Amino acid sequence: MSRVNTVLGPIPTEELGLVAVHEHIGYGMPGSELDTRWWKTPEERYGETVPKLRRFHEYGGGTFVDATGICNGRDIDYYRSLSEKTGVHIIASTGFVGGDTALPFFERASVEYLAEHFVHEITVGIGGSGGKAGIIKVGVSRGGRMTDLDKRIYRAAARAARATGVGVLTHLAIDAENAIAIFNEEGLPLDRVLFGHVDDGVNADKTRDTWIAEQGGRIGFDTFGYETELPDPPFWARPRRERLEHFLRFIDGGEGRIRQVLASADANCSPLGWPGVKGHTVNYIFEDLIPDLRAAGLGEAAIKTIFVDNPADFLTIQH
Amino acid sequence: MPGAQTAANATGGTVNTVLGPVPARDLGVVAVHEALLSVLPGAEYAFDVTIDRAEVFEILAGKLRDFRERGGGTIVDGTGMFHGRDLRLYEALSRTTGVHIVASTGQGPEGLLGGYFLTPQTDPPTPWPAEKFADLFAEEVTEGMVVPRVERRGAAGLVATAATREGMTATDESLFRGAARAALATGVPVSLRHGNDAVRDLEVVLDEGLPAGRVAVGGLDRADAVASGAPLEIAARGAFVLLDCVGTEDGGHITDAERASLVAELVAAGHGARVLLSSGATGVAKGHPANEVGYGHVLTAFAPLLKARGLGDEDVRRILVGNPRDLLSVR
Repeated sequence: MSRVNTVLGPIPTEELGLVAVHEHIGYGMPGSELDTRWWKTPEERYGETVPKLRRFHEYGGGTFVDATGICNGRDIDYYRSLSEKTGVHIIASTGFVGGDTALPFFERASVEYLAEHFVHEITVGIGGSGGKAGIIKVGVSRGGRMTDLDKRIYRAAARAARATGVGVLTHLAIDAENAIAIFNEEGLPLDRVLFGHVDDGVNADKTRDTWIAEQGGRIGFDTFGYETELPDPPFWARPRRERLEHFLRFIDGGEGRIRQVLASADANCSPLGWPGVKGHTVNYIFEDLIPDLRAAGLGEAAIKTIFVDNPADFLTIQH
Repeated sequence: MPGAQTAANATGGTVNTVLGPVPARDLGVVAVHEALLSVLPGAEYAFDVTIDRAEVFEILAGKLRDFRERGGGTIVDGTGMFHGRDLRLYEALSRTTGVHIVASTGQGPEGLLGGYFLTPQTDPPTPWPAEKFADLFAEEVTEGMVVPRVERRGAAGLVATAATREGMTATDESLFRGAARAALATGVPVSLRHGNDAVRDLEVVLDEGLPAGRVAVGGLDRADAVASGAPLEIAARGAFVLLDCVGTEDGGHITDAERASLVAELVAAGHGARVLLSSGATGVAKGHPANEVGYGHVLTAFAPLLKARGLGDEDVRRILVGNPRDLLSVR
């Protein structure tokens, strides 16, 4: 039986449809909830979020993977109501965006405890919400190198992925040698890992995307839409043409490479602890990216591979 | 907004409690540095940590009633804004038990901050400077303490912060300077836990122009602090000497007998108006070990030791009532 955990319960892989594999309902660094400058009423939050998800659904989007980790404003009850009311499947993450977003309780925890926590959120549920995690988020802290805490989180994630069969999704793919060494030591096949943000403006030059692919990892071009052409681009923005060419070069770069690649927009429906980027939404996938790919000569089969088949393989719980 | 009265509409001689400003003369005996619900940041998300509010309430109400029966009037929750502070629970506890509850703003040390303050989404990710902490803390006095992403409630009664035990970091210094500026702007005091050099840490907040009489320096019953002579030096500079682990005898601290001698020594040196006592008890602890000493320990177990050292009733009352009243009165 093929299955994937969504916040409303398991669904068959066949129901996922087109997947936005690295998105956020709302992201905020831990502690941002103390700063009233970011507060929004529930009316505002639903008002900013529901139309984007409904539009996503109308465009033919099936599943929204929320890559917001523990301590970053992840809110399963809220995601459940959004999913139920819009018809979009939402997959939540356990794990952390990076060591620098893990609060002191988890910073002090052992690898064994972290793994147990992740497994609990995947198999039993997240808090009292009843929703289960469908993916494990890990990441590299600010500064460009994996910290000791980052490494403990990666190791715990590898163990939890092996124990439960869900995949691991990374924030940044820099310092991949250290990451892959940990996954190898823990015996996690690299096709269970999506190495994300290989395309962002700060780190693309430092990210060994083809090397990671050669090792067997999946590759996430998942910051599409953060463009220097925007009126107020974030520091990780990149020229639109440059990112697209990077993507096309990558999938043309080797036999079967297209089977390893996933794409997403990493947009916030309603940011929690930062201003967000005006005009950038998950629907960049439909409004800009897929048209750009078609214009570049990709056929419908290739588009289905990138947005439907590859995410289905990655997200399906392995037994 | 219930309970949203702030220092701005309070007149002199009042203290900010979670139920609003209270005349300072009504505080009675004050436990000036305790914890009600104490949650190590992040523990609230842990799969094996349960925070049953009804149960927490029952436990805390029992401890507060015990404190009241022993003669206590006011509890100061010194855990700041990011260590389990639960304002609606504290309001209900205060209404139910009749004990005044003063809650604190502030954070620290650096190791207890969220990533929002340490690695913000800017390039480079520069930690927050003093000025931003000052605004964050001051607004919790002038506009009310936050229930995260929901509302503001009553005014904070003090700013609590701490330095890293191994020594003040650059971000700790920003916290201290921010705390001092918030105190200057709003009239509430600063209660700080020193790192490895109490006098130097005090000097950081004094350097911001905060009068020493608006500062309580905690951690001064730690064995290392006492060995360095810090308590007398802090008192000589005019700040409050806060022995905040009364009842803890763990090797890292002096014993209660030694604390009593230290207090007698401070009083004899003319610093009776600068001594504060508290137990640093944790009513309910989540994600870290509790300090199970009762809130009433100072009153019933420790005060007799002071009298045995020759302190009179007036001396003891000044330490338990007058000094905390002077500290907590909004200026």
